[in-house]
Amino acid sequence: MFADITLESVTFKSNWKKERSLASSGCQTSELVVEEVACQSVKYKSVKTQTEDDSDKFSGFADDNSGHLAEFLRRVEPAMHKQLEMNVKSHAFDDYEVTWDEGSSTMSSIHKLTNAAHDGQFQITGLSWNSTGAVIAASYGRFDHEDWCTHKTSLCTWNLERRNLDENKPDTVLEVSSCLMCTAFHPSNPALIAGGTYNGVVIVWDLSREDDMVLTSSGIGDDSHREPVSKVIWVPDTSSLKKNKYLLVSVSSDGKMLVWKMDRKTKQIELHDGFVLMNMNLPTQLRKSRTMRGDKEVGVTCISYNNENKDSFIIGSEPGAVFKCSMSANGEQPAGNIISSIQLKSPVTFTYAHHYGPVYSAEFSPFHRNAFLTSSMDQTLRLYSMLQKQPIMTLEPGEGVIYSTKWSFSRPALFAATTDTGLLLLYDLTQNQPVPVYKLEAGGLMGNNARAPVLTCQFNQHQNNLIATGDAMGCIQVFRISDSLKTPLSRDLEILGELVDITTES
Amino acid sequence: MAEVEETFKRIQAHKGVIGVIVVNSEGIPIRSTLDNSTTVQYAGLISQLAAKARSTVRDIDPGNDLTFLRIRSKKHEIMVAPDKEYLLICIQSPHD
Repeated sequence: MFADITLESVTFKSNWKKERSLASSGCQTSELVVEEVACQSVKYKSVKTQTEDDSDKFSGFADDNSGHLAEFLRRVEPAMHKQLEMNVKSHAFDDYEVTWDEGSSTMSSIHKLTNAAHDGQFQITGLSWNSTGAVIAASYGRFDHEDWCTHKTSLCTWNLERRNLDENKPDTVLEVSSCLMCTAFHPSNPALIAGGTYNGVVIVWDLSREDDMVLTSSGIGDDSHREPVSKVIWVPDTSSLKKNKYLLVSVSSDGKMLVWKMDRKTKQIELHDGFVLMNMNLPTQLRKSRTMRGDKEVGVTCISYNNENKDSFIIGSEPGAVFKCSMSANGEQPAGNIISSIQLKSPVTFTYAHHYGPVYSAEFSPFHRNAFLTSSMDQTLRLYSMLQKQPIMTLEPGEGVIYSTKWSFSRPALFAATTDTGLLLLYDLTQNQPVPVYKLEAGGLMGNNARAPVLTCQFNQHQNNLIATGDAMGCIQVFRISDSLKTPLSRDLEILGELVDITTES
Repeated sequence: MAEVEETFKRIQAHKGVIGVIVVNSEGIPIRSTLDNSTTVQYAGLISQLAAKARSTVRDIDPGNDLTFLRIRSKKHEIMVAPDKEYLLICIQSPHD
C-alpha cells in the first residue's frame, strides 16, 4: 500500500528574474603629495631719532692758548682804529646809492579798469586796496546831485593778480541802491570792505560769503547819518586788549563823526561813540553869519588818523577849516536838536589856518608823526605840522581844484595829488623846487579834448610801486612808478623832519 | 688776559661800532662782543670771504698780499684785518 517514493525535484527558470553576473575588482586613489613649510611671526626692532639741539653743538668759542692773540691785536689795532676814524668823518659815500633790483625806470599805466555796465555815467568816488595789495575796489557814485539820489550804483572789485583779468568786467559787483561816496577795505581782513552811501548809510560787506555779501549796515535811523557819508576809515581799537580789533569811523556832511564797533558774535555794527562838528568851532572868518546858532552842524569832508597816536585825528570841513581832534575829547555838546542814543560832543582840540574852500582830503604822513597834507577846492595843497597853526608849505600847481592827496607808503618825501585837469602830480620833498617831479595823465579824454577830472588816488601799501587813480568818467588807472620814486633815499625822513619840525629861530 | 680785553674795549668804544670778533685760522670765533648766533654767522662767512679775497690778490700778483678788507653795505661797514693765525672783524655803522 504506502511506500516511500522520492521524486526528483523539479526546477523551472524564473521568467522575470535575470541572472546577474558578478565580477570582482579593486580601486585606489592616487598618491597624495605632501609638502612641509614653516613660517613665523614678524620680529620687531625699536629705533629712535631726534634732531640735535643746535645750541648744544656750539660749545662756546675755541680756546686760544697760543698766546699770540695779544701780539696780533697789538699789531692790528692801529690800522683798525684809523679805518674806524676815517669812516666816521668820510663823506665819500654820502650820495652814493646802488640799485640792485632791475625794475622799471619809467612810469607807465599798466591797467585801465572800467565797469562796462555803468557805461560812464558814474564817477569813481573812492578807491581802496585790500590788505594783501592784490585787489582794488572802487565805489561808484556822483558828486553832483541836486536832490534825492535815485541812482543804482555798485561797489566793484578787481583782482589784479589774476591771469584772466578782464579790464572791463570787475570780479565782484556789489549792488547798492544809491550812490556810494567812499569805500575802505579792512586793514587786516581781506574780505571785509566798508562803504558809505549818499543816503547816509554805512554798509560793511563780507566778500567771502557766497550769497548776500552785505554783512551789516547802519540803516537809516536816528543813530546814523542823515547826509552823504564823505569818508569811512578803519581805525585800530586802542581800548581793546586784543590786537587786530578795528573800529569803523564814518564822517558825513551832517557834521557827525560816528565810531562804530562790530559786535563779534552778531557781526552787526553798533554805534560806539560819536562826535559832531558845530558852527561854534569854526574860526570867525568862516562863520557864515553871526545870527546862526553856535551849535548848528558843519559838514565834515575828510578825516585822517595819526599813524603813531591813534587817539588824535584831523578833520577837514566844508567851509575850509582844518581841525585837530582827539577821540577822548569831551567838548561842547549840541543843544539837543540832534537825536542820538550816544551823546555827541565836539572833538576839536586845535584849529589850524583854514583853506578858502571845502577841504577835499587830509592825510597824515605814515612816517612822520607831525606832518599832514590837505588839499582843497581853493586849488592849493598845504603841508602842515600838527604843532603849528600856519602851514609849513602851500603848493599851488595851477591845475584847478585838487581833489585828493596821498602820501606814499614807501618814501617819506613822496606824495601824490590829483587835479581837476585830469593829472596825477607826484611831488618829492627832497627837491628844492616846489614843482611836481612827475605829471601823469590820469583822466580819460572827454569829448571836448579835455581830460576828465581825477577824483581820487590811492597808493598800494604792499606793492609800493603801484598807484591807482579814479576819474570822473568811471575809469580806474593803475600806474607803475619808477624805481627812483619808490625806493626811499636815506635822507628822506631827515628832510621831511627838517621841513616839519618847528625851528626855534622862525 | 687784560691786554686783550683792553684792546677789545677800546675798539668797541669807537663811534658807531656795533661789534668786534676775533676768529682763528679755522674760522672758529675766539672772542666776540656780539651774541653767539650772530658771531658764528659772521665768523664763518667772513673768514671764507677773506680767504677768497686773499687768493684773488695773490693770483693777480703773487708778490702781493691782502692787508685789509672793507665791505660797505647800506646799513654797515664790515672791516677785516687778516693775519696768518687770526682774523679781526669789526662792524661799524658809519652814519650815526
